[in-house]
Amino acid sequence: MSGRAVAAGTSLVAGAETRVSRSLPRLFGSIAAVGAVLAAVPLWVGDSRVRMGVAILGLAFACYAIGFNLIFGSTGQLFLCVGALAGVGGYGTALLADRVGVPVVAALVLAALGAALVGGLLSWVAVRRSLGVIFAGIITLIFALSFENLVLGASTITGGDSGIQVSAGSGTFLRERTTAYYVMLGLVLLCLVVHGLLRRSRVGWAFRALRDDEVAAELAGVDVARYRVYAALVGSAMLGLAGGTYALIAGRVSPTTYGFAQVDVVVIVMLAFGGIGTLVGPVLGATVFTILDELLIELGQLRLLAYGVLIIVLFLWIRRGLIPTLAELVRRKPGSPPGTAPDGEPG
Amino acid sequence: MTASILDGIVLGLQFGVLAAGLTLVYGLGGVLNLAYGQIAVVSGLVTLLTMEAGVPAVPAALIGLVAGGALGLIFDLTILQPVYRRHGEARVLLSLLLTLGAAFVIDGYLNWRYPLRGLNLRITGDPLVVFGVRMRMGSVVASGITIVVIGVLYWLFRYTRLGRAIRSVIQDEEGSRLVGIDPQLMMRLILVLSGVLAAIVAITRSMVAPVNVRAGFSLTVLGLIVTVVGGLGSIPGAFLAGLVLGIINSVASSYIGTFLSLIILLVAAAITIVIRPTGLLGVRE
Repeated sequence: MSGRAVAAGTSLVAGAETRVSRSLPRLFGSIAAVGAVLAAVPLWVGDSRVRMGVAILGLAFACYAIGFNLIFGSTGQLFLCVGALAGVGGYGTALLADRVGVPVVAALVLAALGAALVGGLLSWVAVRRSLGVIFAGIITLIFALSFENLVLGASTITGGDSGIQVSAGSGTFLRERTTAYYVMLGLVLLCLVVHGLLRRSRVGWAFRALRDDEVAAELAGVDVARYRVYAALVGSAMLGLAGGTYALIAGRVSPTTYGFAQVDVVVIVMLAFGGIGTLVGPVLGATVFTILDELLIELGQLRLLAYGVLIIVLFLWIRRGLIPTLAELVRRKPGSPPGTAPDGEPG
Repeated sequence: MTASILDGIVLGLQFGVLAAGLTLVYGLGGVLNLAYGQIAVVSGLVTLLTMEAGVPAVPAALIGLVAGGALGLIFDLTILQPVYRRHGEARVLLSLLLTLGAAFVIDGYLNWRYPLRGLNLRITGDPLVVFGVRMRMGSVVASGITIVVIGVLYWLFRYTRLGRAIRSVIQDEEGSRLVGIDPQLMMRLILVLSGVLAAIVAITRSMVAPVNVRAGFSLTVLGLIVTVVGGLGSIPGAFLAGLVLGIINSVASSYIGTFLSLIILLVAAAITIVIRPTGLLGVRE
C-alpha cells in the first residue's frame, strides 16, 4: 500500500529529480563556498550580542534543516519530530553533564546517540509496519507531543515551563559569541559533508532509487527498509548533535527551544525556501529565513500570516523551492530554450 | 470511577465530532485539512463577536455554524482546487502543506487582531444527576447537542439519497461518476459539512472550557490523532476512537495526573496505529 504512494509523495516535494554531481572537488567546492560566505557573517554583524545570538540560532536551524532534509528529502519519511529529537540532544547533554557529571564532550556524544537511537527506532517501526507518509508523520508527531509534555510535566528534572540553566560549557569558548558562531558553523559544514558524501556513495544511489520509485528500487535489490533506517539514524544524530551544541552555547534550554511550533514548522518553511532534496538548499533556506525573520520583526504576529502566504505560494507555484528556481532563472542564458536544467547541483 | 468515565464520554463525544469532520474530507477526497482547528476557532470567534454585538447566544451560535460552513466552502473554492488536480499520496501531501499555510494565515491574523480572546459559553443551571454522578449543566447540554449531531449524521448517511451518493463516492469515485453523481459537488458539500462540524465542536467545547484563539493547532492535532486511531475515512471509527481516547484520557487524569494522562493518550494512539495501521474500523485498501 505504501510503496508507490511514498514515492509519489516525495517526488512531489522534491520536484524534478535532482542531479547529483559525482565529482568530489565540486562537492567540496560548493560546501566551501557556503562556509566562506557564512564565515564572513560575524564581520558585518559586528559585536551586537543579540544579532550574533540570532546568527547562531540560524546556524542551529541550518543543521536541523539538513537533518530533516536527509530524512524527508532523501528517503521520504515525514519526520514531524525535528524539535523533539534536537531536544533529546539538548536536554540529554544538559542533564548528563550537569546532573550525572559526565564530561561535556561525552555527554554531547551520548545525547546525540540517544537522539539517533530514538529516530532510528521510529523509522524502524514505521518501516516494519510499512506505514505510509501520513501514518509515519502522525507517529512522529505523537512522539514530538509526548516529548513536549514529558518535558513540561517532569518539572523536577527538566524545570518544566521555565527550563533549566546549563552550567556545562560556561566560562569556555562556547559562551564567547564569535567562537560559538564558528563552532556552530563547523557543525553545519560537518553535516553538509556527511550528507554530501552519503549522496554520492552507494547509499546515495539507493536513496535516490527508492525516492524515485520505491517498488522498482526494491525489485532491483535495494534493501529499502535498511536504507530508510540508516537515513533516520544519521539525520537524527545530526539533530541531536545540533540541539546539544546549541544547549551548551545558549546556556539554557526550555520547552520552546525545541517545541514543535518553534522548530518543526520553521524547518518546513526553510526547506520550502531552499528546496527539498538538494544539498545546500537547507542552509540557504535557513539563512534567508533568519534574515527575513529579523527584517519582519516589526510585524509581530503578522509574520506568521506572511509565512503562511509564502508556504502556499511556494508549494503551489514553485515546488522546487524558491532559491533553486531563482538560481535557474539567473543561470539560464537569454535565448536558451526554457526548461534547460542547470549543470550540476541545484542551489 | 463512574464520574471519570462519564467525563470521558463527554470528552469522547466531542473528540468524535472533531474527528468526523476531518475523516469525511479525507475519506471522500483524500484531502487532509490541517486548518481544520482554525475553522473551529474562527467559528467560535464569530459567535463571540456576534454575541458582543447584542445578539442572543442561540442565534449567535447559528451564525457561528454558518461561518464554519462558509469557511469550508472558501477552502474548497480556493486552495483545494489545485489539490483536486492531483491524485493519491501526492494529493494528500499537497493538501497538507497548503492547508498548513492557510492555518498560519488564520492563526497569524487572529493572534494579531484578537489576541487572548476566547469563546466561553457559560450554561447556568443546577448540576444534573446522571448514574449517581452530579454532572455540570454545560457538559450535559454539550453532550446532548453532540448526540443529536451524531444522530443527524447517521440519518444523513444511512437514509438519504445525498448520504448514499456521498458514500458511493467514498467507495469508488469513478463508479459514482458513471451513475451520474458529481464527485466535485459532493466534495464541496462535505467541506461545508466539515466546517459546520468544526463550528459545533468549538461551540459545545466552549460550554465546558473556554476555546481561545490559540487553540486551532491543538484541535487539529487532536482531531488528526483520533481520526487515525479510528481509521482514516471511517465515521463510526472516528466516534469509537473518540470515546475510547476520551475515556482513557479522563480516567488516566483522575488517577495518575494531568500531564501523564495526555502522554498515556498519545501512547495509546501510537500503539493502535502500530498494531493496526488502518485504524480501529478502517478498511485496508
